[in-house]
Amino acid sequence: MADRAEFIKDIRSRLQNHRSRGEYRPTHAPDVPWTPSAERRRESPVSGDLPARFLGELEALGGHGRRVASIEEARDYVLSLARERGAELLVRWDEEELEELGVDAPVREAGTEVSVWRDLPDFREVAGSAEIGLTTADWAVAETGSLVVTSGPGHGRSVTLLPPTHVAVVRVEKMLPTVAEAIALYAKNGGLPANVCFHTGPSRSGDIEQALAIGVHGPGDVHVVLVG
Amino acid sequence: METGKPARSRDTLDRRHEGIESKVEGFNDRARRALEDEFLHESVARFTKKSVASRQAALERLPEAPELRETAYRIKQETMANLDRYLEQLAGAVEERGGKVFFASDGEEVVNYVGELARRRGSKVVTKSKSMATEEIELNRRLEESYGELGLEIIETDLGEWIAQLAGDHPSHIVAPIVHMNRHQIADVLSGVAGEALPPNVEDLLQFARKRLREKFLAADIGITGVNFGVAETGTICTVTNEGNGRLVSSVPPVHVAVMGIEKVIPKLEDLSVFTRILGRSSTGQDLSVYTNLVTGPRQEGELDGPEEFHLILMDNGRSDLLGTEFEEALYCIRCGACLNVCPVYRQTGGHAYGSTYSGPIGAVITPLLKGNEEAKDLPHASSLCGACTEACPVGIPLHELLLKLRNRQVDEGLAGKGQSVAFKGFENTMKSPALYKISGKVGRMAQKPLVKDGKIGRKLPGPLAGWTGTRDLPALAKKPFRELWREGI
Ligand code: SF4
Repeated sequence: MADRAEFIKDIRSRLQNHRSRGEYRPTHAPDVPWTPSAERRRESPVSGDLPARFLGELEALGGHGRRVASIEEARDYVLSLARERGAELLVRWDEEELEELGVDAPVREAGTEVSVWRDLPDFREVAGSAEIGLTTADWAVAETGSLVVTSGPGHGRSVTLLPPTHVAVVRVEKMLPTVAEAIALYAKNGGLPANVCFHTGPSRSGDIEQALAIGVHGPGDVHVVLVG
Repeated sequence: METGKPARSRDTLDRRHEGIESKVEGFNDRARRALEDEFLHESVARFTKKSVASRQAALERLPEAPELRETAYRIKQETMANLDRYLEQLAGAVEERGGKVFFASDGEEVVNYVGELARRRGSKVVTKSKSMATEEIELNRRLEESYGELGLEIIETDLGEWIAQLAGDHPSHIVAPIVHMNRHQIADVLSGVAGEALPPNVEDLLQFARKRLREKFLAADIGITGVNFGVAETGTICTVTNEGNGRLVSSVPPVHVAVMGIEKVIPKLEDLSVFTRILGRSSTGQDLSVYTNLVTGPRQEGELDGPEEFHLILMDNGRSDLLGTEFEEALYCIRCGACLNVCPVYRQTGGHAYGSTYSGPIGAVITPLLKGNEEAKDLPHASSLCGACTEACPVGIPLHELLLKLRNRQVDEGLAGKGQSVAFKGFENTMKSPALYKISGKVGRMAQKPLVKDGKIGRKLPGPLAGWTGTRDLPALAKKPFRELWREGI
């Protein structure tokens, strides 16, 4: 096993030795500050109607998005999705906003079992057999049509990943213009959750003769309901 | 002043036992065979053409692309200059979040670490998402060999990598591992696993693969991923995939092992937004890869999934030899594949001709540097020095200049005669073969203008190059300023 102190020391001495022998001849002269400082960062201008941009990007990626005015409409969306997919099991995050959504009872009435992400004896069994995963998201990014999902108690990563259909209900205040801004917020607030993932459209692969394949491993059927 | 035995005597080690077993020598023979494979040609041509076009479109939507490239270059430059410090910072941050960090000097140490981990955990099933670093050290084969008694089942989960693994094949493109295989070959391979004949249509093959791999995702005891970026400031590792296998492999099994080349560290979380903006666009023309996954340590209190154990392996394997040298820039690579897609040589021969883990221009640069100049002496000549790779690289690596420096070094080391490298002569003949003529079809259309801007370097071009430049089929370069070319996404 490599000893850490030796390893680091070795790297330092290589750097210094090579440089002192004048071997370092970079191609570019350092004439611009290397770090993307605030005044230097020029974001792509993403402005105007962020939800519309988001929905457009998501559709272009093969996802489905809808903006609704009320929580009732969002509930109906999820309910009809469960019906249309003929789902036997929906798994959802244990999260206040989803409690407020109040989908559990109507979805069960429609014949779909609902599992909530808490105290599950075998999370693989549940997430692996559910047809639909229902979550919220930290952010929705207009520029790329990305959802930013984070881990935490009640927030299973598998819920966004194993069921073939993923539906996220996101309040419209959660819109951000760019990926960079989402990252900047995590940087500013210090301390990331153990997992943050940008989901940008449905899972895709082009590995077999470059034919576009949707939903190879992650969900192929992705829905985002923007509320507000 | 050397007083004792150096901590690592890597410089004197024969590195040939590291990395893939096939010999890197013999580019010419493999290239000749590749030129005769029509499907490979057609498929590689289609893929590279499509990728170049998508990349161009994506960069057009990004007006600040030139600045981003400049910034990416600076970040890498600054990182390498202080790599010792950033590695320490990264390791400290990961440990603070409850992760384990292991520094590995070479592939052997990675293999042993993972093997012992599997032994301690009593693991059986190991799922992997695509990782060039583990390809480089042939982790799968060596684990199976050295830890045979554990009976590990190691499964690649990227669709293409899995099929390559089942076929006993190596990936031929960083981004599209089985671009060289057709659906009939794939159906044959998967039929072997299915125990029944699968029809050679894409949908059936996909359904089969999805189902089979899903069982493995759920059964895995250990998940191994590569790392695209490791953030020193926060101890976060970022892995991008389009299929979602990287996210699955790092979320579902109880143990996640991330294997990272030491050069993948970046200082700050905000730097990530620079790289994620150029990686997907340069690679496949996507604004962002589908799953851009950030992992900071193991699962936290109260979480039901996510790994209980998180291990980060920081692997050197020859990289630190390049630090502070004229070849340091080769370490800036973010493995986007853009240089492969624009390279006239890659486009003709595909990746296997290179006989190395990394193919295309970056492979021709990095293989001799990591594996030793002698063994990979053909590769720096597997290039027309046209400069398309340099123009395409989103982090501004001067690839063709590095290739030239490598050739010069061979001359200095006596591996090639000045101006008339034997290896290169052979290669030139290959590229003049009738098959190539037929394919490239536009002989001599190119302006003969040397593309290396520096006159001194231009004069050093070896003699046979003139013959080869006559046959290349590439847009003229260097007629436009660099930024304009970048914007056009040649
Ligand atoms: S050398 Fe540059 S263009 Fe080639 S794969 Fe690496 S980052 Fe991409």
